[in-house]
Amino acid sequence: MQDNVILSFEDLDIRFTLRGQVLNAIRGISLDVYRGESLAIVGESGSGKSVLTKSAMGLLDANGSIAGGHIWYDDKDLAAFKTEKEWLTIRGREIAMVMQDPMTSLNPLKTVGAQILEAVQLHQGLRGPEAKAAAVQALADVGIPDPQARYKQYPHEFSGGMRQRVVIAIAMACRPKILICDEPTTALDVTIQAQILDLIRTLQKKLDLTTIYITHDLGVVANVADRIAVMYAGDIVEVGSCDEVFYDPRHPYTWALLSSLPQLGVKGEDLYSIQGTPPNLFYEVKGDAFAPRNPKALKIDFVKRPPYFDVSPTHKARTWLLDPRAPKVEPPEHVYKLRERGGVGYV
Amino acid sequence: MAKYILKRVLRASVTLFIIITILFSLLRLMPIEGYFDNFDKVSSTEIQVKLNSLGLNDPLPKQLGRFYNQLLHGDLGTSNIYRRGVSINTIIAEKIPISVKFGLISFALSLVMGLALGIWMAYSTRTRFKIGDRLGTVLIVVVQAVPAAVYHIVIQFVGSQYAGIPMLFDEARPISYLLPILSLSIGNTAYYAMWLRRYMVDEANKDYVLLARAKGVPSGAISRRHVFRNAMVPLVQYIPGSILSTLMGSLYVESLYSIPGMGGLLVTAIKRQDNTLVQALVLIYAVVSILGLLFGDIMMAIVDPRISLAKKEGSR
Amino acid sequence: MSLFKKSADMLGDRLNEQLARDLDESAVLNDDTLAFSFAEFHPEAAERGGYSNYSYWRATVRAFFRNRTAVFFLCLMAATLLFTFIQPLLPGQKDPLEVHYGEWGLPLNNVPPNGEYWFGTNSIGQDLWSRIWAGTRTSLFIGFSVAVAEAVLGILAGVLWGYVRKLDFFFTELYNVLDNIPQTLLLILISYIMHPGVSTIIFALSLTGWLGMARFIRNQIIIIRDRDYNLASRCLGVPTRRVIFRNLLPYLVSVITMRMALAIPGAIGSEVFVTYIGIGLPVSIPSLGNLIQTGRSLMQMAVLRYQLIFPVAVLAVITISFYIIGNSFADAADPKNHVN
Repeated sequence: MQDNVILSFEDLDIRFTLRGQVLNAIRGISLDVYRGESLAIVGESGSGKSVLTKSAMGLLDANGSIAGGHIWYDDKDLAAFKTEKEWLTIRGREIAMVMQDPMTSLNPLKTVGAQILEAVQLHQGLRGPEAKAAAVQALADVGIPDPQARYKQYPHEFSGGMRQRVVIAIAMACRPKILICDEPTTALDVTIQAQILDLIRTLQKKLDLTTIYITHDLGVVANVADRIAVMYAGDIVEVGSCDEVFYDPRHPYTWALLSSLPQLGVKGEDLYSIQGTPPNLFYEVKGDAFAPRNPKALKIDFVKRPPYFDVSPTHKARTWLLDPRAPKVEPPEHVYKLRERGGVGYV
Repeated sequence: MAKYILKRVLRASVTLFIIITILFSLLRLMPIEGYFDNFDKVSSTEIQVKLNSLGLNDPLPKQLGRFYNQLLHGDLGTSNIYRRGVSINTIIAEKIPISVKFGLISFALSLVMGLALGIWMAYSTRTRFKIGDRLGTVLIVVVQAVPAAVYHIVIQFVGSQYAGIPMLFDEARPISYLLPILSLSIGNTAYYAMWLRRYMVDEANKDYVLLARAKGVPSGAISRRHVFRNAMVPLVQYIPGSILSTLMGSLYVESLYSIPGMGGLLVTAIKRQDNTLVQALVLIYAVVSILGLLFGDIMMAIVDPRISLAKKEGSR
Repeated sequence: MSLFKKSADMLGDRLNEQLARDLDESAVLNDDTLAFSFAEFHPEAAERGGYSNYSYWRATVRAFFRNRTAVFFLCLMAATLLFTFIQPLLPGQKDPLEVHYGEWGLPLNNVPPNGEYWFGTNSIGQDLWSRIWAGTRTSLFIGFSVAVAEAVLGILAGVLWGYVRKLDFFFTELYNVLDNIPQTLLLILISYIMHPGVSTIIFALSLTGWLGMARFIRNQIIIIRDRDYNLASRCLGVPTRRVIFRNLLPYLVSVITMRMALAIPGAIGSEVFVTYIGIGLPVSIPSLGNLIQTGRSLMQMAVLRYQLIFPVAVLAVITISFYIIGNSFADAADPKNHVN
């Protein structure tokens, strides 16, 4: 593992068993996460983005398991972890998480303070009044006014945005090195979204965190990410720097995803939408998973899974179109409009 | 919260008043034989004289007024047949202690067993063969589906014929407490276990549990501090109310084992057709059950911090 | 495997065949020019991954039949019900009320089970076998009547409660009061006041039994008005009638069925209970209640235990079957359990 890589997925396979059927949720993913960077994993629902990050914390549902590959962290292979004791050395302490819906991610019957205190006691080794002071400080750090009084209140006394700040405070109180933000703003009002993203960015700079965002919102991605990984049907189809993926996308799925951005719509025309539905992962996927929905698929796409082709040292994509033998296929023209319009920006 | 409790108490008082009135009016329809210990031998004029003297021929509102007046003075009337001329207060005073004793012991037992079983079942849903969950489910299904009247008999039958435990209650022999207490507690045991398991499984799948795991809380602590605690909150509301099922069970169990308590008394009063005694006992049972529901709501308000804000009215 | 899955697989196979016709795999792998030429686009293949073709009732039935315990009890119950009703028509059955006499003119009382009297006879010489099935008919009649009364009254009251806004306050208060009366107590009281009989028990149990159903229907009607997806359907111009039939009725029907299924064992148990305290059915109407009651009084005599064991066994089979079927059906009818 290179020095600047903090977390590395290597040929990871994750399967779920549902009513006797096997679902291949993650199909051979390799991905490096660099120290201090901000990585966005993008994809539609069911593409496996949450499963991927949960696997790094040992939080897969009981019917899911790692069927192959490795997850490297600090020379430890997390994929080989068996016991809860091993995972407790990672959860919170090394990797913490902020979840989508702040309305449900706090225990409604415990005070906000008690929930932060739990993290403080576990990971900062403090007890008694010192622990309490640290918990109050954690509330203050995420910009909650009057933290002393708020400490004693229950989650239902907080607004959605404030609750998400509390969730972030809990994550921060663990003193993690990596913060996973699973759709951190999806459930919030648009006006609050920007504040929460700003908060996470500020904390990241201050504490030298590595952040992984999971989102389907390209607006969020454009605002926060250094790098983007595009997921489709349990696989990463394209990964590159933010500029590379937005302005020079290579995989037909990335094209389709960018084409469906509302900003690219032309007044009076129907908004672009991707045809068909994602594959049913209960079946074996053959070739390129996106091929059946790709009007310009090659014959080989149906037969053989493409390898990664390097576009630049930081940019690679899994598509046969990058093979020298492939015919030249231009992305849909409106993908280029992105560059003209100066990026995605806040939606 | 005090305001909420006060509101609930006021509401319960009104409900209680309405229900007592309804029951009292219904009770006026009781067959008149039940006011005489020698109905076959008296003439129709004598009957009318007695009914007049008891005020039973007065219009209903007048009877109701007199009844509430007596009730406020703590007078439940006198027995006609069961123990002729004896004040019902006296009769009940003898019977209450033993019923309360049986009720409390079996209540405590069912709470301990029910919660233990529920926790075991919920825990076992995460193990490979789910043995605890399967066994517990069999018990719950049998207890819920088979009428209480029948499993009481089966317990008495198996216990007395095969385990050699005395078939009837005998105050001097502690072993004879076993079967009635088992009978009285098994229904609530199954009930608590079923709901605790369900609530715990529900809670364990909630996002806040995932967040607690993500922040590194060990699973034992999560089960205790988050899942069990939160699952108990909805259950707490039903605990006082479940006194009702113990009460109704006692009707059957007490007479089955000849326990000299209130439940057996009601059955005897019905069989002997002692109207005033039936009336007093029916009203007492109604009061106890309404108080049980009221205490359930109050306990709920105490344990759930959201209650004073969110309207919980009629959520049962 | 169910029909649904078969048809989905057949569709899949057909598409695969079609693709295979277009694509000869080895040819593609060996010939770069062919491999890197464009494939034809099949819109239906693009849709293939989807989980469409969902039918509520098909999914419900499928989920129910996947539960082997439920299927076992369904068969058991169907067999018991069928037998209960055809039993009197079978050859060689005895009258449940007839007292049988032996050679010397003495009643054949307490005869243990034998070839002639399959479940033996009772203390006055009546045939227990035919009495048990007659009793089962009585108990089932009570159970079904109460279930139907609950459903009819409950749906009527619930619809009024939910639709007529002016009545909402009245019904809510009525519910809050009546729901506080213990049903057992009311049952005792009514049975005490009225003459013992089948209709008394049905009346007493139906008196407050409809409350739960009415409340459920009322809540559903309010949901019709307010729930997001119904609001969405309405905004999309779906007529209310269609909202009711597509979004609501399936759920409604399944919950009503479940409640009726669970009301039956409850009613049967109540009959046993009132008979025990002496205000139930007279012995001249055989019922599971008075058969068990008679059996209980004889249980200390080992040779007569059959008089308790047989009726208890029949009652247990019936109540447990209804209970399990009701609950399994409710689980199966819950769309949350309809994944894949």
